[in-house]
Amino acid sequence: MNPILTFIVVLLGIYGLCNSRNLIKSIICLNIVQTSVILLFLNFANFSGSGIPIITGNTGEMTDPLPQALMITAIVIGAAITALSLMICVKIFHYYGTLNWHELIRMED
Amino acid sequence: MATIETLLQFLLIITTLVIIFSKNNLKIIIFFSASSLITASLYFFNKAPDVALAEVAIGSAITPLIFLMAITRQKDFVVINRTEDDFFNKSLSRTGDGYQFLEKFTEHYQLKLSIYNKKLANGIGVLRSGDVDLTIQMCPSTKKYLLKGKESNILMNKLEQMALEEPLIEILKVRGEISD
Repeated sequence: MNPILTFIVVLLGIYGLCNSRNLIKSIICLNIVQTSVILLFLNFANFSGSGIPIITGNTGEMTDPLPQALMITAIVIGAAITALSLMICVKIFHYYGTLNWHELIRMED
Repeated sequence: MATIETLLQFLLIITTLVIIFSKNNLKIIIFFSASSLITASLYFFNKAPDVALAEVAIGSAITPLIFLMAITRQKDFVVINRTEDDFFNKSLSRTGDGYQFLEKFTEHYQLKLSIYNKKLANGIGVLRSGDVDLTIQMCPSTKKYLLKGKESNILMNKLEQMALEEPLIEILKVRGEISD
């Protein structure tokens, strides 16, 4: 697996985060950046010739299980952050009547 | 095996591009779910089946579900009706003029109109007091219908323009939260 292709996805997510005018689309782009960064971490922990980290009788060399455990935590925390930000999003729509970044910033001035 | 991985990575880039360049919220959510499934299979190819399981359950099922719920809550235009007559009611026999006016307004912005009458409104009032967009009251002196909304909401400007054509409806903009 080529880590450069995964890094392209990270960069695309950041581009979408900067470029999008819709608040919900920004949150989706944040999620994409998160999943691809997790993929990068798992790719760096996986060196060639190693197996799945499950201990049986004759276990050979296996990947590092520590990044995998931390990445499961990251996925769960990401879901919680998404739910919180969407709740704030709904409140913003009912107060200002729009979800457009530019209009929201203009109304704050 | 290596060719499948490269293929999946290119597929991931394509779905990300579709998400970035599309404008429809529902389409974005479905493609996000698909990209989560592709990433889950890539996790499995990276010798991490436990993370792949968590991603399939959370990333491609629960997170799009939360997004869908948020979008339906966002499109809800909550109106509380405090008048007694059926000017703002819709029944099988006839539809009130006020109801038709509000329906025209919400269809223009692709919102979903939900009108709660006085008795029902007392029940939900505690839970969703911040989400109420309009309250309808009867003005005792001029016998006009007063529609109270938040001053900060830019949808109120459009509603005010549309109400100029209706003789019985008057718009009132309130600063801050709508109270009784």
